Amino acid sequence: MSPATSDWVERSAEEIAESVREGKATAEEVTRAFLARADSTAPRLATFLHRMPEEALASARALDARRARGERLGALAGVPIALKDNICTRGIPTTCGSRILEGYRPPYDAHVVERLAASGAVVVGKTNCDEFAMGSSTENSAYRPTRNPWDLARVPGGSSGGSAAAVSAREAALSLGSDTGGSVRQPAAFCGVYGLKPTYGAVSRYGLVAFASSLDQIGPFARTARDTALLFNAICGRDARDMTSRPEAVPIALDSLERGVKGLSIGIPRDILAGEGIAPAIRACFERAAAALRTAGASLVDVTLPHAKHAIATYYLVATAEASSNLARYDGVRYGLRAKDGNLTQMYEATRGQGFGREVKRRILLGTYALSAGYYDAYYLRAQKVRTLIRRDFATALEKADALLFPVTPTTAFPIGEKVDDPLAMYLNDIFSIPASLAGVPALSFPAGFDEAGLPIGLQLAGRPFQEETLLRVARAYEAADDAAARIPAIAKERA
Amino acid sequence: MPIDVSTVRKIAALARLRVEPAEEERMARELGAILTYVEQLQALDLEEIEPTSQVTEGAPPALRPDEARPCEVRDEALAEAPDRDGDYFRVPQVV
Amino acid sequence: MSEVRPPVAEADPKAAARAKYEPVIGLEVHAQLKTASKIFCSCSTEFGARANTQVCPVCLGLPGVLPVLNERAVLFAVMTGLAVGSTINRRSVFARKNYFYPDLPKGYQISQYDRPLCEGGAVEVLAEGVRKRIGLVRIHLEEDAGKSLHPEGKEGVSTTRVDLNRAGVPLIEIVSEPDLRSGAEAYHYLTKLKQILVYLDVCDGNMEEGSLRCDANVSVRPRGAKEFGTKTEIKNLNSFRYVEKAIAFEIDRQVARVEAGERIVQETLLWDSARNVAETMRSKEEAHDYRYFPEPDLLPLDLTPAWIDGVRATLPELPDALRERLVREQGIPEYDAEVLTETRALATYYEEVATRSGQPKLASNWIMTEVNAVRNKTGQPIESFPIDAGRLGDLVGMIAAEKISGKIAKTVFERMLSEADGPEAIVQKHGLLPIDDEAALRALAREVLAANPGPAAEFRGGKEKTFAFLVGQAMKQSRGRAHPEKLQAALRAVLSEEA
Repeated sequence: MSPATSDWVERSAEEIAESVREGKATAEEVTRAFLARADSTAPRLATFLHRMPEEALASARALDARRARGERLGALAGVPIALKDNICTRGIPTTCGSRILEGYRPPYDAHVVERLAASGAVVVGKTNCDEFAMGSSTENSAYRPTRNPWDLARVPGGSSGGSAAAVSAREAALSLGSDTGGSVRQPAAFCGVYGLKPTYGAVSRYGLVAFASSLDQIGPFARTARDTALLFNAICGRDARDMTSRPEAVPIALDSLERGVKGLSIGIPRDILAGEGIAPAIRACFERAAAALRTAGASLVDVTLPHAKHAIATYYLVATAEASSNLARYDGVRYGLRAKDGNLTQMYEATRGQGFGREVKRRILLGTYALSAGYYDAYYLRAQKVRTLIRRDFATALEKADALLFPVTPTTAFPIGEKVDDPLAMYLNDIFSIPASLAGVPALSFPAGFDEAGLPIGLQLAGRPFQEETLLRVARAYEAADDAAARIPAIAKERA
Repeated sequence: MPIDVSTVRKIAALARLRVEPAEEERMARELGAILTYVEQLQALDLEEIEPTSQVTEGAPPALRPDEARPCEVRDEALAEAPDRDGDYFRVPQVV
Repeated sequence: MSEVRPPVAEADPKAAARAKYEPVIGLEVHAQLKTASKIFCSCSTEFGARANTQVCPVCLGLPGVLPVLNERAVLFAVMTGLAVGSTINRRSVFARKNYFYPDLPKGYQISQYDRPLCEGGAVEVLAEGVRKRIGLVRIHLEEDAGKSLHPEGKEGVSTTRVDLNRAGVPLIEIVSEPDLRSGAEAYHYLTKLKQILVYLDVCDGNMEEGSLRCDANVSVRPRGAKEFGTKTEIKNLNSFRYVEKAIAFEIDRQVARVEAGERIVQETLLWDSARNVAETMRSKEEAHDYRYFPEPDLLPLDLTPAWIDGVRATLPELPDALRERLVREQGIPEYDAEVLTETRALATYYEEVATRSGQPKLASNWIMTEVNAVRNKTGQPIESFPIDAGRLGDLVGMIAAEKISGKIAKTVFERMLSEADGPEAIVQKHGLLPIDDEAALRALAREVLAANPGPAAEFRGGKEKTFAFLVGQAMKQSRGRAHPEKLQAALRAVLSEEA
């Protein structure tokens, strides 16, 4: 083992990119280091559905050649990055964790993939996820569950479990996931890394396989606040191919993250904290973090989110309704799995019956029901109205505060298999992450501490639309005062 | 609100999804539990509230100019088809 | 156009029954918009391309794709709404219509439901000389599906082939109020609607090619009743004629049932144009549950009054206005103006001929009879008619100036179809100048009398009738060039001369 291997996987993306741009390191050696790490840990963690060592090395060499010719390389030059397997990569299998897309190779790259290529990032693989992003543990992947680097018997969270674990175990310096009701933030919290759900519309969804169109956002995973911003910058902004993407999303100046929290007001939604079921360690961590921010110069103010208690019910009507429609295209006609069975209707039913897992079927049926004749008003329409109330709650709270602070999850990572048999219990885990998704506001999970078992605790900051900068600034201030983000899981400390 | 197996079958048919007979009871139970849970929304007074179907705010984006462009990846896209007959996609006959 | 006439023997009983009931008909028309690209992607909309060559990830419904709205589709839809007097909704919303079919790639069609682009409006039709206003409910934008073809397989296993070239072509759906009362009215409504769309140049209006499609909703009720009867829907109507026939058929069928005390089943029927019957669709038609909900990938379409006014200001002159203007400015009858405004190009042609010749009515006659007779045979649009307005105008002018007779003019016209010369040149070239010199006419008359001694004698003997025969012979001899009145005078003079 060369000293370089352990070096590069420990470095931040910012450092790596600077080194590669300045010629202090080659993209190839950096890539090799991360590939070697993944060779060791990925088989045990099951982080990847498809690793791309040859493509990664080819990209890295091409970057090195360009640098040798004197070209200026991009902001993420040579940085190894992993992508959730619901993000389309041209010619590379994109399964969304499902059998219905087993072997499917998209003929086009997602917008974010194009942006990453332009920035010089090196894609090292496609990560495991809950099937079609539906789940909170990555146990719904049709292929295998991913394991939490902090405790291999536990879930990494979901649905972007593979992406979170890959960054946590240093198999990649950065990764992208997608967040619909918490699928970036919750695994970030479980795996002790940063996970950002951007403002709805801040990142183009072109090439993100849709789950719930009015909620989905692609989000970065990273190990530092600055790295999170760096990745966000590489992918944010208007794309003509996504009519819901916004020009208001602009890159964050990294230096502005160093300004500290003096003068900022942090809103504490006491009503949602009043609920039972929050693990004591998380509650304690939360109080500590609030106090730390106050010490650092922020003022704390009480706010309420009175309709947040209806968020789960709202979400499981709106998101499933949209999903039932978005997943109708998987019919075996033009791509993906086709089950050979009788006439057309039988072919559809067999294909979708065999190709979709139980959770996906459950949500499709729920969503179909919520939209069906006679039930639309009582379910879907009603839920969209409650959504309006939740948006208003956030808008009101964010008049008084620059950011809201509250937990991401009620518990730390739970054991694999513990919640698979009770869908409703699984859904109730999303109690803190869903509200910000429904409101469309940006929300960040940042590493805040550990529980008695040494499992990571993440806390959440939510802010005004297109104010990701404020969230990262607060997180950076916390990071400067607390080393939670810097701790490394044991698996990542192993020497080859 | 509990739902019965015949309702599950009806919705499954609408969604072109086969739910195996062995799974039907379980699915009915799980869906019923979720529907019972979401019933909490019935208690809210939503008379004056507009539904949100889009959280996007701000000036609407420009529409796409009407220009035809050939697709460079057409062959790649069609190569993913499970069954083709020359230029066509082939499927079992529509009943 | 003629009304569908049942055999005489059956006419009486049906007519009696029909008289007791009022048919109520509404039409849903889908018109393909003539944009260069599809409504949500940049694939070409050109007709007739090899299967699946005008497709891309978006219109193929691949995982991860999103719709991007075509600005010209919106423009064309708004133009149509303005042309028929609809209210243009400043905010309209796209919605997903969910159902499974192999030529519907996403498993849903993006359409409009609760909040369409246009509401209200009307189309004025002329049916049996009566002007009637047919109200519109709405016009909305949506995407077309692809095509499913059903060839029989070899071992008896049937398959369907799918071509998605058409998937995503922009459509407007125009829904009429149930204001129509007969198949004939429906025919006129469709003709008028097509005319408007073609005037606007937003649609080709070709039912045989599928750029215009129509479904009919038909019911009957006792005359004087306020409530509607049960309606049936008729599909597979591929021409305006079939629409008319199918509606007439269905009215009779419903009337017969109601008279017999049977109820009408609400169902969808398919028109069989080979057997001229409408039949229930073979598979049991379940009521579709389309589970409409607002399309989250598209924002609501917001149009400003200023923009809408801008579109209104650039609308071309529409058929009704153009017709009224021709009546006013050219002094021609309404009937003529109706025929001449069939297309804008024809109206323009007419105006040029009228101006050039200074003869609005004569110009109208010539176009309606001679020009259109040729065009009916050849199927040419006026734009490719071999005689341009200038030459025809000159010809009509020559007739008015009595430089040639109407009859000779027809000969000249025929020559102009295949020769490029103007009428004066053709008259010269082919020796068609009129003979109106008295001496020449008398010489001609003497020739004719010499060649026809018998009839000449009969006339002199008092048989007036043979005069016409002699005139005919003289005309024939002169190849129509003899001036009719002057020839007659000359012939009489010569006859009395040689008495």
